[in-house]
Amino acid sequence: MTVQAAAFRPVPQSELDWLGTEPIPAKPYYDPAFYERERQAIFMKTWIEIGHVCELPAPGSFVRREIEFANASILIVRGRDGEIRAFHNVCTHRGTRLVEAESGRQPTFSCPYHMWTFGTDGALLSAPDFEQFHVGKKDCALPRVAVDVCAGLIFVNFAENPQPLREWLGDLADRLEALPVARATTFHEYVYEIDANWKLTYDNFQENYHLRFIHPRSGGAAAGPENPFGYPIRYAFHGPHRTQTIWSNPAATPPPPSAMLAYAAAGRSAAVNGLALDAPKDYIALFPNFFLFGSPYQHFSHVVMPISATRSRGVIRLYWVGGDTCASDSFAREFLMATARDIHAEDRAVIEAGQRGLNSGALKHIHFQTQEVLCRHLYQQVVAAVQDHVTENA
Amino acid sequence: MMSGHLPAGFESLEPYVAQWSGRTAAERAGLRAMFGPDERAAFHAACTPLVKDGLALLDARPLPDLSPAERRLLDLFLAYAHVSLAIDVQAGDEDRHSPLRESMRITREPADF
Repeated sequence: MTVQAAAFRPVPQSELDWLGTEPIPAKPYYDPAFYERERQAIFMKTWIEIGHVCELPAPGSFVRREIEFANASILIVRGRDGEIRAFHNVCTHRGTRLVEAESGRQPTFSCPYHMWTFGTDGALLSAPDFEQFHVGKKDCALPRVAVDVCAGLIFVNFAENPQPLREWLGDLADRLEALPVARATTFHEYVYEIDANWKLTYDNFQENYHLRFIHPRSGGAAAGPENPFGYPIRYAFHGPHRTQTIWSNPAATPPPPSAMLAYAAAGRSAAVNGLALDAPKDYIALFPNFFLFGSPYQHFSHVVMPISATRSRGVIRLYWVGGDTCASDSFAREFLMATARDIHAEDRAVIEAGQRGLNSGALKHIHFQTQEVLCRHLYQQVVAAVQDHVTENA
Repeated sequence: MMSGHLPAGFESLEPYVAQWSGRTAAERAGLRAMFGPDERAAFHAACTPLVKDGLALLDARPLPDLSPAERRLLDLFLAYAHVSLAIDVQAGDEDRHSPLRESMRITREPADF
């Protein structure tokens, strides 16, 4: 029996009317004063994804992250007890940066300046001639940063008493836990810096309107005659977060032989690891700056870290369950990583072009069409968070 | 030309061993950009008929058990993964596309774990 694929039907505006249709002010996409409000209202008090537990495989494993929006260097450490903790990377003696290595494994952390030594739980273990000080060791532990894990993803929060992570994620927590990222043991990563606002950068990856123009060759099966812009088949909103389900062209031109080899090997590997190949291609966006694309073939996350009002850093990871077991695994993973990188490389230049235009101040407003509704939702969530923060601190 | 550096049956790839055997994903991505269109096309044409059977041969052993010759063959095929995108996907746009990729720094890969 032949199953007829349902014809593509774009999500109608009537389902999205509740988000409005008005133009969006342009200034929040370049104004340093607005960025400062975002920094305080959002980034300094919201869960921010910064890593994965597979980076901390054993007691003493650590990673260092530079978080520009917080002007902070953070150590994320797996303790001897197996617990993951996050600390400011500063010696509590006189503030010296404790660790320069990006990652590693060690039982203790010693300050190079006066050799104060801290345990993996942040406690001050020893300090030369400590009797000369006028403070107890228990008051000299490394400053903690709230940290929690969902689906293997490590989140930090700079607020003193943040809302629990799973409560913040709501129904998306269980969905994330069911995805390959929750079982990932390795990843490919590529990083870019961009002269663009974090929202402008992030928005590019929330809409498909640009696909046919920016990715005419690499876009592949993302568009087709019945859906020439490659619009999604579904949007959903989850408090400050949002999801969409990506459409695939069932009659797409077959990919080149190298891609067929890669997809076949990735499919075999996914099946061995119990990953559902026919799972919907869901895009899960967590407020403010993280999303994960749930394809079992190219299972990637993308976080856009703000550096300033008009500069950001993107970190993209393709997560894999299990190490490379054979040559075909290695080939498939490298091919799929390179494919994603090709596409993202095409995005970066056009985002910067947009930022240059906005920086001039020539535009008072920008415009989102119906199928750019996720961009509209992000903007509204940002404004709401900023207003809430102002109210709380009035 | 190097000889005897690859498993039997893959002698036609010997001329490419010295220049196309990047050991990391970042190096292999760099090779795609470093060589011109004619060199990419020649490497692609040499690998395309061999890659399927070559991977099948290499799959017979776990990765840590590959001989040096087999490892070199795998490195060539991994470089081919990048070059295939240049030839089969970007085609005439590859030279325009290449500088766009420079800003996308590959920083981690499974072999790092």
